[in-house]
Amino acid sequence: MNRNLSIPKPQIDVEQILNSTVRMIRSTWKTKVCIYIHQDDQGLLKIRAWDGLSKAPPASFKIMPGNGILWKCMETNRLMESGQYPWEPELVGLLDSKANPHGMKYVVVPVSGQSKVLGAMIVGPFDKNFDTTITENDFRCSGALCAVLAAYVRLYDWTQNFVPQMNHELRTPLTAVQGSLGMLIGGMFGKMDGEVSSMLQMAHKGCERTVSAIETFLVKQQDKMPKP
Amino acid sequence: MAKVLAVEDDSDIQIVLKMVLTRLGKCEVVLSGEGTPVVDLAREHQPAFILLDVMLPDMSGTEVIQRLKADPATKDIPVIFLTARSIPSEAQEALSLGALGYLAKPFEPMALVPQINALLSKVGNAITIGV
Repeated sequence: MNRNLSIPKPQIDVEQILNSTVRMIRSTWKTKVCIYIHQDDQGLLKIRAWDGLSKAPPASFKIMPGNGILWKCMETNRLMESGQYPWEPELVGLLDSKANPHGMKYVVVPVSGQSKVLGAMIVGPFDKNFDTTITENDFRCSGALCAVLAAYVRLYDWTQNFVPQMNHELRTPLTAVQGSLGMLIGGMFGKMDGEVSSMLQMAHKGCERTVSAIETFLVKQQDKMPKP
Repeated sequence: MAKVLAVEDDSDIQIVLKMVLTRLGKCEVVLSGEGTPVVDLAREHQPAFILLDVMLPDMSGTEVIQRLKADPATKDIPVIFLTARSIPSEAQEALSLGALGYLAKPFEPMALVPQINALLSKVGNAITIGV
């Protein structure tokens, strides 16, 4: 059942870490713009982190197979330079103002996992004579760093939701079981003979051990989880 | 006889709560499985206190208490949270929103009434249930 979770806000803004990383990459390459785009399980492209854009990009967009540079880059797992193919419509407005007519170029870097392309990173603009082939591995490493961090953020978010939800789902039925046993043992419905009473107490003790296990494995382990 | 509004979506826990509060607490219990009607129910019944589950199907318990505290007719009704999660920050949030305190699930039914009375004793003109 869907319930409204009132999950405590993490003390650390994990998204900020990803944005800071993108800013560092941009700064390392001495460029104005860096964007990290991640493809989710449904094929939707999400702009996970960006820096240097004059306006906020769309949160996500669907990439269409065709001649767009992002599609080509991810399809072929090859590093591309702006001008080789047209920008996807969603990127035109974002990067046009930063591009300049004097031959500056952006680099579109595929971000690859072990078995598939996970997304892309756009860095630039660079001077038109900048030889991207020499630094291709460095570009790919920068993209991989973003991908690793994005995966960690996803994992962190998942555990932040999963642990409280599991805690709730386990404790709720236990409340009814322990509550019923507690009322019987407490004599709310009359006195029970010794054997029945000891059986119920055993079941009640089992509930308490389960609650203790939930505390140990879910709640305390969550506290020990390393923060990004 | 004190009237209690118990807001809990799990039907089994509703039964346990109703049994404990009526038999041991000697209360009249009004039940709600959702958060939306709570303010109206509180206005109508003016319960001595509200037991409020933190996680409800239609809205969170924290949202419910904010609505209760925003309404002049219900703002003074003591609210005790029922929570199936033992996260200290959540308890702090509940208290900061004006809750009297919270009871962690699973609760011990025979200890529930004294626990509720201990929380209710914090309020001026405190009522005591189960007597």
